[in-house]
Amino acid sequence: MTDQLTALTTIFTEFYYWITVVLMFLIHVGFCMYEVGASRYKHHQHTLMKNTMLIPLVTVTWFLFGWWIYWAFPTGPGLAPSIMNESAALITDDSAFSAKWYVPTSDLMAVNLNDRISGVFWAAFLLFSWTAASIVSGAVIERITTFAFGILAIAIGSVFWTIDAAWGWHFDGWMLKILGYHDAYASGVIHAIAGGFALGVLAVLGPRIGKFSSSGEPRNIGPRNPWLVTIGLFLIYTGFWGFYAACNIPIFDLGPEYGMEGVTFWTATNIYVTPTSLGGITFNFLMSLSGGLMAGYLISKGDPFWTYSSGLAGIICASAGNDLYHPIQSFIIAMIGVWVAYKLHYWVERKFKIDDAVGAVAVHGYAGFAGLVICGFVLNGYPSSGYSVGAMWVGTDYAPINPLGMFIGAIIMFGVLGFLPGWILAKILHGMGKLRIPKEVELAGLDYTIMEDAKSDEKAVASSSR
Amino acid sequence: MATVNNWIDHLSAAEVKGAVYPGVGTEGILVLVLVVLWIGWHFISNAQEKSKSDAIARKRPGSNDWKSNVTDG
Repeated sequence: MTDQLTALTTIFTEFYYWITVVLMFLIHVGFCMYEVGASRYKHHQHTLMKNTMLIPLVTVTWFLFGWWIYWAFPTGPGLAPSIMNESAALITDDSAFSAKWYVPTSDLMAVNLNDRISGVFWAAFLLFSWTAASIVSGAVIERITTFAFGILAIAIGSVFWTIDAAWGWHFDGWMLKILGYHDAYASGVIHAIAGGFALGVLAVLGPRIGKFSSSGEPRNIGPRNPWLVTIGLFLIYTGFWGFYAACNIPIFDLGPEYGMEGVTFWTATNIYVTPTSLGGITFNFLMSLSGGLMAGYLISKGDPFWTYSSGLAGIICASAGNDLYHPIQSFIIAMIGVWVAYKLHYWVERKFKIDDAVGAVAVHGYAGFAGLVICGFVLNGYPSSGYSVGAMWVGTDYAPINPLGMFIGAIIMFGVLGFLPGWILAKILHGMGKLRIPKEVELAGLDYTIMEDAKSDEKAVASSSR
Repeated sequence: MATVNNWIDHLSAAEVKGAVYPGVGTEGILVLVLVVLWIGWHFISNAQEKSKSDAIARKRPGSNDWKSNVTDG
């Protein structure tokens, strides 16, 4: 960087993403608190450890191969040619945005005085990975082994979500070109996929002992510490601000980027490099949060657990198009998302005996899926990219946003990259006898030994006189 | 190990080298070490978890026995 303006823009962008990472850390703090609050006393410490340990497990694999997948897979491979090299193969050539630069042995994956953005961008995406894995974590509490969860966390956090991000979030992704897919703040690429993955795992894992009566009636195992759940969800809301910011490019001149001769247009853009504003998405974030909270309060008749979760579900449902919606549209879409999530949660629970301990499949999966479908109608006709817009299915240019493409996109996110891999991996782990803890441990509590040791230590301390 | 011995020389070069961490060129070995540590962690933690679970399962405490272990602060 030899001129001050380039330096200012670059270091501002570096610092911007750095701050988003710090903010997004709060999502994980929130998820940990939320899960512990929702679990029973005898499982608290293991529940906390399970969610905490996904941090290093996903981080290491994200360093080793997750980040590489994101840059290598936008073409499918084989589904639509890249706009960078016109090849439909994996992007591993010498082009500027090639996966070649993001193998773990690359000198860009370290302190590098000539590259200030790769590290913070890597970290921002890594925090999305933690979120995807953490969504699954809540659904499976109190009966999954930490080993199995670690494997599943790596699969969703460093493999499947990053494939979907390459397909539907990357500016060169084949889903934009063929389907007109648009998902600015990740209704699908994070939430629907993680919800679908969790559902696949739950279908194999089975319910907690006692969740269903002998006649199949579900019983409520409510949060044991509602205050921890409350603070946890507030922290997730807070971290979500960082998430929204991290999905943007803060300052970019779209004139030369789109090849418009003599045009200069500095703006913030979404992940697809189409223009939006931080002010605009702030309107929409808060209005969709409000719509979600209001709908959740009504539909659950004031139940705090569902009301808080509904605030989140509302934002998630509106997120696909929150870069362009009017705030009142966001508000209404959030309400619809909450209704869908709440109704489907209880229908699936009764019909298929699925025990989703924290409503993760509903809040993230169903609301995310609904958000994608709704986005296809509300943003029908908008360009999915700024680079060029053609017809649907062609794949050499970008299809406009449309209802059918978004519906297919929702199925890919929730079903193909979410539910199916979750179900298959859980089946394999189950076959190895590694998926579920022994019945005796589930009844006694995962923390039984820790608590017994603590009690005997305390007795010894209490009986001491010196 | 030092990649940079003099910042003035380093930054005034015609082409400033970006990578400044110690041991530039040994990235392959570092990645190998990370993979071994990562896989080893899974094996060891799995064995630990299984042994703890088996110990509780052998004891077969009832579903309310944990209450007698609650510390009173």
